[in-house]
Amino acid sequence: MYRSFEIKNFRCFDHLNLTDLARVNLIAGANNVGKTALLEALFLHCGAYNPELTLRLNAFRGILEVKVSVARQDESLWDSLFYQFDTSKKIELSGDNTVTRRRVLRLKVAHSSVESLVQRQPEDAMQASRIAGVSRALQTLELEYEEDKHKGKCILSLDQSGVLRMEPAPPPPPFPAFFQSASVQIAHSEDAERFSNMEIQGKQDVITQILRLIEPRLKRLAVAAVSGTPMLYGDVGMGRMLPLALMGGGMVRLASLALHIGNAPKGIVLVDEVENGLHHSILPRVWRAIGEAAREFDTQVFATTHSLECISAAHRAFSETECYDFRLHRLEKVNGVIRAITYDREALETALSVGLEVR
Amino acid sequence: MAVEIVQPRLLVVEGKEDEMFFGALMRHLAIDGIQPISLQGKNNYRSGLKALTLSPGFNEVVSLGIVRDADADAQSAFQSVCDALKNANLPVPTAPLQLAGEKPRVAVIILPGGNQPGTVEDLCLRAFAHDTAMHCVDQYFECLQRRQENYSPPSNMSKARIQVYLASRPRAGLRLEEAAEAGYIPWQNRAFDEVKLFLHQVAS
Repeated sequence: MYRSFEIKNFRCFDHLNLTDLARVNLIAGANNVGKTALLEALFLHCGAYNPELTLRLNAFRGILEVKVSVARQDESLWDSLFYQFDTSKKIELSGDNTVTRRRVLRLKVAHSSVESLVQRQPEDAMQASRIAGVSRALQTLELEYEEDKHKGKCILSLDQSGVLRMEPAPPPPPFPAFFQSASVQIAHSEDAERFSNMEIQGKQDVITQILRLIEPRLKRLAVAAVSGTPMLYGDVGMGRMLPLALMGGGMVRLASLALHIGNAPKGIVLVDEVENGLHHSILPRVWRAIGEAAREFDTQVFATTHSLECISAAHRAFSETECYDFRLHRLEKVNGVIRAITYDREALETALSVGLEVR
Repeated sequence: MAVEIVQPRLLVVEGKEDEMFFGALMRHLAIDGIQPISLQGKNNYRSGLKALTLSPGFNEVVSLGIVRDADADAQSAFQSVCDALKNANLPVPTAPLQLAGEKPRVAVIILPGGNQPGTVEDLCLRAFAHDTAMHCVDQYFECLQRRQENYSPPSNMSKARIQVYLASRPRAGLRLEEAAEAGYIPWQNRAFDEVKLFLHQVAS
């Protein structure tokens, strides 16, 4: 679980410091102030050692294909990740979390050749010969990580034939992390797989209970592969099971969220525009359920919102718990620089009761 | 509808009534560019001022005026505002009507002023003091006292006297803030000098 997080030179952030992080964190702020970028930075940091995750970020924003011109050396695949597209400075992401304590990630783009990469890693003869066989790399992204007791490096390179290579293979991340995009729907088969994981652990009822917030008739959930693709089906007393996808977008989105939390024990779930598809009347119950699930699986949640109803519902729901393990963080651009403003319970209670703007 | 900061000068008041009252006075003084914000009760000042500093646009605020009733003790009311300002990491003036800080500049007024106990109603009563109608208002209460056995006078006599006074105006039954908007408050009276000074401090 993250306690604090710092971003330098990433996307729209020159420098952002986020402190006082709680079990559940809601990120608010005007359009184009970096809410999604903050989730992306956290996602990269959770991935810890894997530069390949940088390529997924555009997909999270609905940009599913990027045309790479190998003829242009002045522009790299990763330029948009850098503040003001300035790749001469490193991206630095650092966070204090309860698993690896402090971990710093540095990302830089280099237009160096594979040969020069190999020279920097002469200890790995196998790797050197493997890379020496490929054509000259056009662009490379170098990820350096530094944590409690060790440091390391992983390099992602794009060669002239447009092939991406990663050397060395990164170690697995220290804890699981999921990113739930606002614009890209999660494949039904992925949700089905995650549900199966929870079923194996006997935790499937957690999901059913949460989904009953939207569909009280729901008796049980099951995975079925009717036309070859495994999907989640629900029994709502109609004499046959219905695909969850037919029960509405809110149902699917809430299921994905609950499944992410259940599949990320001691990990992180990042949700963009959490209120999408959810009617305001169920938001307090949804937040209560998110809080309970996050506590049960020891998962930390970061979600963005534009909705005052969503913020108010979250505050009310967590106010009813003993620990109030919730924080609202608002991103605001001040003199061209984005900063984070964190509301504790008392400040948020007063702001909401007095009717002050908090978004 | 959430309250957004839309002006670089803010006037923090206890309630919606005060928003209207000060709005009317500022119109009389032709002061614009000050946004009254109600924190819905003096008990909310501590957390409310902090919440206000976290609000979108607060970094653009150049001046902040705080209005509070003295109630029983003007000194402790001022101290309470100072504690709230300190809690919100805002500049703290050394006395009412003294400016503190740079951005924002902070000024405080404790009503009715002059380090006296009371409320905004007492301030208005000072302004009405020379109005012959007030003689009749006071006689009304004396009469009730004289003629009614077991008569219990209102617990808030200042408010009651204001209400009776306003009941005698052409548009009877207005509340103080409505009377302010209707033009029944003699703003030119010297009783309002401190408040005017304060508003000019906030506006400057």
